[in-house]
Amino acid sequence: MEPIIQVNNVTKEFKVLNRSEGLKGSIKDLFSHDYKIVRAVDNVSMDIGQGEIVGYLGPNGAGKSTTIKMMTGVLKPTSGSIICNGVVPYDKRTLNAQNIGVVFGQRSQLWWALPAIESFNILKDIYLVEDKDYKDMLELYSTLVDMDSIMHKPVRQMSLGQRTLCDILASFLHNPPVVFLDEPTIGLDVAMKAKIRELVKMLNKEKNTTVILTTHDMGDVDALCERIVIIDKGKKIYDNDIEHLTGLFGAYRTLSVSLSKNKEILTKEELEQMETSVSNLLREQWPDVDMPVSIEDNEIQILVNEAFTGVVKVINAVQDKYKVYDMHITEISTESVIRKIYDGSKIVK
Amino acid sequence: METSDMSMKTASKRRGLRYYFNIYFRIIAQDIKSKLSYRSDFIISLIGMILTDAVEILSFWLVFQNFPSVKGWNFYEMLFLYGFTLVASTPAQCMFDNNWNLRLVVYSGDFIKYCFRPVNLFFYFMSEIFDIKGVGKLFVGLSCIVYSWNKLALPVNFKSLVLLIFGFVFASLIVIAILNLASSACFFIMNSFFVLSLSNTLRGYARYPITIFSGALKFVFTFIAPIAFMAYYPSMAVLRPDNVPVLTWFTPVFGIVFFYISYKVWMKGALSYNGTGN
Repeated sequence: MEPIIQVNNVTKEFKVLNRSEGLKGSIKDLFSHDYKIVRAVDNVSMDIGQGEIVGYLGPNGAGKSTTIKMMTGVLKPTSGSIICNGVVPYDKRTLNAQNIGVVFGQRSQLWWALPAIESFNILKDIYLVEDKDYKDMLELYSTLVDMDSIMHKPVRQMSLGQRTLCDILASFLHNPPVVFLDEPTIGLDVAMKAKIRELVKMLNKEKNTTVILTTHDMGDVDALCERIVIIDKGKKIYDNDIEHLTGLFGAYRTLSVSLSKNKEILTKEELEQMETSVSNLLREQWPDVDMPVSIEDNEIQILVNEAFTGVVKVINAVQDKYKVYDMHITEISTESVIRKIYDGSKIVK
Repeated sequence: METSDMSMKTASKRRGLRYYFNIYFRIIAQDIKSKLSYRSDFIISLIGMILTDAVEILSFWLVFQNFPSVKGWNFYEMLFLYGFTLVASTPAQCMFDNNWNLRLVVYSGDFIKYCFRPVNLFFYFMSEIFDIKGVGKLFVGLSCIVYSWNKLALPVNFKSLVLLIFGFVFASLIVIAILNLASSACFFIMNSFFVLSLSNTLRGYARYPITIFSGALKFVFTFIAPIAFMAYYPSMAVLRPDNVPVLTWFTPVFGIVFFYISYKVWMKGALSYNGTGN
């Protein structure tokens, strides 16, 4: 199937004035032509299919919002090309706008003074939504959220959560093939986050809408995305499904063991002593394998790479030497995988 | 792809004037409705606006108690010009008032939210606010004009009425153009408030006959910042029908050209601003 969004070798450069320091410097800058080129997005390519939910991740300043601006037609790439629904967004911004919905967390696009339903009615006219489609959409919405409590309240009086909810509903109103959600759950409480995620998921399923989600909340990613794209310093460093991501580091398991009947009363010294002796024990047994040992929550944590040693073998080794009162194994979370990628910032294929 | 063909079809049929009028009236109808719900706020600011204009007229009148005329212009003629600027400023005040907020939304980065709708960016931004208080200006302005018209014993005929109405239309384009240009300065420079207040000061000069200014200023106020077309030139067709300056007949040209330039500058600023935003 032909992808709905094609991003081909897109690069975006900005010209930035090299600023000198101090007052004298800023006066000098007024006449300076000393520009440097900053590459915000560096040769990024991706194809996105209809109905996908793609998590677009990266640390602050990685070039996420620049890419989104190019896909929504607000910015023109320095080189490369983008096609969204068969339209080149930056050449035909208004035409492209008909095919997309955009939500910026904390920046409501609804009319501040109007009740949400009035905003929706105006949007219906702006996007030329047919009466029947509009009615069906509102009906669908009312099965997904409690519309009565929010629709007749001016946007200005809404809580941040309600406002975000309305913004998301508004962005799907004209049934666009693609919706961009930029940090939709920022600043929301846990219950509201869950509600928003549920809503996005249902709308995506119901309307087969492609969703491009940028977020720093790994909860959003875990709940919604099948595929994630990570960019750092303008370069794409990861583009694959989420299982594959955990697979990259998924061989890692965290083994936590409690070596005392009552772990709460352990002193720091005792814990550190345990840490060292466990660490020594592991090094004796597997001299070639690096197994970081740490103290967490008064327990000894061992990060085991299953590609080299089985967790069970490690447990046995520890149990031979110590009495283990409690233990549990956890998979590495998406959050820590992403953190590892950001920290390492190495290219992962 | 099927979806894109469909949306292109709807997109091409929607661009008409009717579409824009419909959207505009829907938005402002809602806006006025919500504003009127704050009744006391609305009434107090309406009174404030009328008082501001009334006090200026009063000081005008006081000055003329001592000078019977300024360079051949008597009080009623000056009052006519003053009323003319007020009427010509009404569309800018009512429909383009959001220009005053542009600086703030650009600064906060909120401006980008206007870029995602399938409508003209300039239109969409301006449609957000309709300042109904501007009607106060219209009311005061028309009163001044009717009063001085009467006192000057100007003939009331079809020709002068038509000239007056056309004068209002094109003079208001100049007022809007200057406001657009001043507000779009925020796309290019950081602290642009002084440009906006400068434009207000300029508008203040528009109520004087251009003949009282010296040569250089006369040139600037005619061709560079054409405030002479906000009241003086279009009014001359009615005030001195026997002695109309040639430039009066160029009022439509100046109005349309300056409005067009201001629109282009505004749009260019808006789109280039997004390049560096965030």
